[in-house]
Amino acid sequence: MSDSNLITFSKRPPIHVGRVQTASMLDAVNVSQFGKELTNFVQEHDKVNLLLDFEGVNYLSSAVLSELLNAQERCEATGGGLRLCSVNPEIKKVFEISNLDKVFVLYDCDVRQGVKRYQKSLEIERDDETWGHATERL
Amino acid sequence: MGTRFFEIEIPSTLDHLGEAQQCALAALLENDWIESDQTFYAQLCLEEALVNAITHGNKSDKQRKVRLEMEADGDLCSIRVFDEGTGFSAENVDLPETDKLNGRGVCLIRYCMEDVTYNQEGKYLEMTMRRKGLGEGEPSGE
Repeated sequence: MSDSNLITFSKRPPIHVGRVQTASMLDAVNVSQFGKELTNFVQEHDKVNLLLDFEGVNYLSSAVLSELLNAQERCEATGGGLRLCSVNPEIKKVFEISNLDKVFVLYDCDVRQGVKRYQKSLEIERDDETWGHATERL
Repeated sequence: MGTRFFEIEIPSTLDHLGEAQQCALAALLENDWIESDQTFYAQLCLEEALVNAITHGNKSDKQRKVRLEMEADGDLCSIRVFDEGTGFSAENVDLPETDKLNGRGVCLIRYCMEDVTYNQEGKYLEMTMRRKGLGEGEPSGE
C-alpha cells in the first residue's frame, strides 16, 4: 500500500483501489494535486484497473472531471480502466449534467461491492474475448 | 433596480478563491436565497464562475482583479462575476464532446441557474437564480 496526501492506493487483485481521503474537498485549489497523484499512479501501473472510492468526497467541480477523463484515457490506452464507486447523489448529478455518466462506470455501492462488480465485469470481458477468438477459428 | 447585499474583490489567483466562495455562500444562506441542502450547487456555480474569471478572463494575472457582486430583486438574485478579460458568449457555450477534457463549467452553471449571460460591455458573467430554486434544471444530455 502506498500513501499520498489525497488518494490512498491499495491492491485487491486484479483491481487497484484508490481511496479519495475523507478530509479532501476536491475544489479548485487541491484539484491539481489530485490530478498529479492520479496520473502518477496510472503511469506507474501498466494496464491498471483502478476503482476510485468516492465515499469521503462530498464536492467536486468540472476541473475534477477533466482530471478523471485524463486518467481514464491513460488507463484505457494501456488496456486498463477507471471506474468509481460510492458516488453521492449530488456528484452523480454533476456527471449526468455533463453527459459523463455515459463515459464513466459509476457503481452505486460501497468499495467492497464495487471491487466484486469490477472483478465480475472483467471476467465477463475475458470470457467474451475467449469466445470471440474461438468463433473466429470456426 | 435591485439591492446589493454582497460584494468582494480578489486578485486573480486561486489562493483567494476559497475565501470569496465561502463568504458568498454564507451571504446566500443568511439572506435566505438557498437552503442548506443547496450549498453544493451554489458552491459549484460560484467556483466555476470565479475560476473562469481568474484563469480564462484574467489569465491568472495577479494585477487584474475579479469582483463578485450579488444583488436581490424581488424573488430573483443576480450573481455577477467581473473580470478584465476579452469576454465570451455564455449563451453559445455547448456541452463539449465526451472525449474533450475541458469546457463544462458554464454548462454546469446553466443547469443550476435560471439564466446565465456574459455582459460584454460590463465584462461580467451574470447568473440569475430564483429564491431557493437552485439546481432544478435538467441534465444537458437529455
